[in-house]
Amino acid sequence: MNSLFPFGLDQTTIFYLVLYVLTLVIHWALMAYVLAGSLWLAWATVFPGSGSVPRGRQPLSLRLRDWMPFMLGGAITAGVAPLLFVQILYRHQFYTANLLLGWRWMLVIPVLILAFYLLYLLKSPLLKQRPQWLNRLASAVAAVCFVFVAFCWTANHLLSLNESHWPVAYVGGPLVAARLTLIARLATWLAGTVPAMCVLAGWQLFKWPPPADQESSVRPADRLALLSCGGIVLAAGSAFWYFQQLPAPVQQHLTGSAGAGWLGLLIAGAGLQLAGWLLQWRQHRLHATGLSLVTAGSFGSLLGIALLREIVRYSQIDLTLSREVLEVAARTGGFGVFLIFAVLNGLLIFYCVRLVTSRDRQPQDSSSHQPPVTDHR
Amino acid sequence: MSEFYPVNDYGPLMPGLVMAGVAIVHVFLAQFAVGGGMLLCYFQWLDMTGRNSHARKFVDGYFRVLVLISFILGALTGVGIWFTAIQVSAPTIGEMVLRFHWLWATEWAFFCLEIVAGYSFYRYHRQLSDHARLTLLGLYAFAAWMSLFWINGILAWQLTPGEWLVTQALADGFLNPSFWPSLLFRTVVCLTLAGLVACIVVNSMSDLDRDAQRSLINRAAQLMIPMVLMPFLGAWYLASMPADSRGWVLGGSPAMMLFFMISVGASLAIGGYALIGLVLQRLYINGATASLLLLLAFGATAGGEFVREGSRKPWSIRHVLYSNGIRPEEVAGLRKTGSVADDPFPLTRDALYPNDQLRLGAKVFRRQCAVCHTMHGSNAVAHLTATWDSSQMRMNIAKLQHTKPFMPPFAGTPAELESLVQYVRWSGRNQPLNWPTDTCREVLAQIETWLEEAGTAPANPDGEPERHQHDGEPES
Ligand code: HEC
Ligand code: HEM
Repeated sequence: MNSLFPFGLDQTTIFYLVLYVLTLVIHWALMAYVLAGSLWLAWATVFPGSGSVPRGRQPLSLRLRDWMPFMLGGAITAGVAPLLFVQILYRHQFYTANLLLGWRWMLVIPVLILAFYLLYLLKSPLLKQRPQWLNRLASAVAAVCFVFVAFCWTANHLLSLNESHWPVAYVGGPLVAARLTLIARLATWLAGTVPAMCVLAGWQLFKWPPPADQESSVRPADRLALLSCGGIVLAAGSAFWYFQQLPAPVQQHLTGSAGAGWLGLLIAGAGLQLAGWLLQWRQHRLHATGLSLVTAGSFGSLLGIALLREIVRYSQIDLTLSREVLEVAARTGGFGVFLIFAVLNGLLIFYCVRLVTSRDRQPQDSSSHQPPVTDHR
Repeated sequence: MSEFYPVNDYGPLMPGLVMAGVAIVHVFLAQFAVGGGMLLCYFQWLDMTGRNSHARKFVDGYFRVLVLISFILGALTGVGIWFTAIQVSAPTIGEMVLRFHWLWATEWAFFCLEIVAGYSFYRYHRQLSDHARLTLLGLYAFAAWMSLFWINGILAWQLTPGEWLVTQALADGFLNPSFWPSLLFRTVVCLTLAGLVACIVVNSMSDLDRDAQRSLINRAAQLMIPMVLMPFLGAWYLASMPADSRGWVLGGSPAMMLFFMISVGASLAIGGYALIGLVLQRLYINGATASLLLLLAFGATAGGEFVREGSRKPWSIRHVLYSNGIRPEEVAGLRKTGSVADDPFPLTRDALYPNDQLRLGAKVFRRQCAVCHTMHGSNAVAHLTATWDSSQMRMNIAKLQHTKPFMPPFAGTPAELESLVQYVRWSGRNQPLNWPTDTCREVLAQIETWLEEAGTAPANPDGEPERHQHDGEPES
């Protein structure tokens, strides 16, 4: 790896890698909303604070609670695309890790189902009449579920990198080695999703500001700025901890010609986010300029992480089988079909969004005389 | 591309059973979601044209059910199937992804449309104009059906790869011989499920009087009219199957035939009730009866999926890959080099085995037999061979594909086969602490001869069913 990754690899690999990385970044953005959002909600519900409006009823919590089910649907759907490409790029490693985790890996599905229903429960009127502890329990369990899922993906990924450990893992259990590495990496993810969540939540609170009666002493801009900056600092710390545990050659790839560019992008992205939030914190309000800065920064950071993550992978695994698979993949038809429908469906999705965002301008029919409802609960 | 994967021991359950369980639930839910989209379009249209004044209320109520059930359970069991498929046979899912990833990606593009259109409707339906509602429902239904369209081709390819085997062309693989019959058949199933759920939902709308409920139910029942096509589509599907697979279903394999009959019987019951009672006589149906019919539909789905999965044996992808992940063109080579010589994974309970021959046998079992068999649980080999002596066992395993044509040929050396026989016998005798190693030259020579007699080809290379009787076959 003597040039910026993935340049220098063959075209087919680059092609699939680009698709994998881009779709993975989309998955992460949505996943972050759910994971960090659930963590915030759990915190806010269990520790309501002493302000006039309890944390759990403040604007950020209300938005999160309202949108999380959809965002989870989005995160799962968005996850399917990189799931497809990971099976082309690294199928031997990915499948083996899945199999070594075995039933533990399969737990992801029921846990996500449980979490999904909990999210709906949290936003339904059902819980409102129930005692407070039930609400707290539901929020906390949902957060635990998502942390568990993140743990599984991280464990699976680390296992997929550690080929020499597979036979031992098969007999002795998949988690016997590299506990610290796992913790460091998971901590990076948990902290790193917070700033990413703040970006989406920031735009939502900017576009749909809370009604006056829901204003609390803490303004959304201040809260998000604090959360985001705290997340970035923690993520940087745990990422460094993780970096220290990597073998020396891998470290060299990351800081050498293959990775330095992406490392720069990651750091610049983080800086941009800090600047954007500082700007909004100083004015105590969310604004488009600040949010645009933060968005660009977040995208840069996620992209940087995604590519650095692949450099770690490429410097650790045996790619013999991957090459054979990619050779066949290059000769497999259907890309045109995909492209046509991707564009077509993209347009249709845009049309759907236009349809509902311009709903106020729709001709009113007899049955639409009800007062407009902003929250369908 | 020979790749070794760790094989998990799920106790008395074969991985295939787990797969079948997840698959059945998913197929049931997904088909409900597809049919639900079409049903909602129909009822929205009934409302807009003034044909039924309760249709609108029904649409909103039904959509909640659709979202809560199909968006969540449907989507996640879909991912679940993928994960389970990896657990059952990583080489199979790997091959499918490799050959069809762009079509899978296309299906994904429709998932995205489905979730955006669906959620837009869910969130804003109260504030939308009639036209916008119908548009969103239409897009939702279209996207949902298209996801069926794409996945159906890929699944049908596993059973009937058809011309693809020669041309390797994507279109040949996708539009394979069973593509249309199974797509149309499944579409009818989708409509039926949606109609049945509608009957239950209507019953739960307690603020409607009986007449209003009946008017909605009779409308919903119209979605079940296409069930009259089922016998023809089913026959078309059977005709498109390879002869040997069809043979299993139509009596060659008692288990398969049983599942097939369950499926047919349940469908007949539902179809009869729906067409005669609900469509012709315009009767009312209460929630309990509707639920019972839905349960029958679940049974029919379960039976159908069992047949679809089971009738592929010994293949997971016909003529490409055996169920145990071995490719037909690899068999001859593995007879010489051995099937587990490169297996990097140790045995999980290595100390349990009294000698190395048994260890080898356990590995061979894990690689070649464990997808379809357990030792003591379901389809237990120790039990199936209980009445055989060693010699019979050697011959029947050496000629595996002729012993039962839904098994692949044995793909290992004579020494591996003998170790497998010892392993089965040792297991059948409750794993005694001492067990002699058998190294008799004549035995290996005899096995070699039997392996040669059996050949390396599958039992039905061109799909003709074969009836083969041999010594010591227990009645099954
Ligand atoms: C593709 C799936 C599949 C594979 C792989 C497979 N079998 Fe079978 N086998 C079956 C099925 C299905 C039966 C029928 C069971 C019954 O009749 O109840 C069967 C039956 C048997 C029987 C009983 C035969 C009889 O005549 O009653 C034996 C013994 C047996 N298998 C051994 C093996 C061994 C040993 C292996 C591995 C080398 C193996 N099988 C691999 C599916 C498979
Ligand atoms: C809300 C639930 C989920 C959470 C919290 C989550 C979290 C994560 C995390 C933290 C990673 C990075 C792992 C690492 O690099 O250490 C990841 C990767 C990934 N996720 Fe998700 N995920 C979720 C759901 C899903 C689902 C349902 C899918 C599939 C449909 C999916 C597909 C992927 C894929 C393909 C990767 C890359 C795996 C690899 O390269 O090894 N995720 N996810």
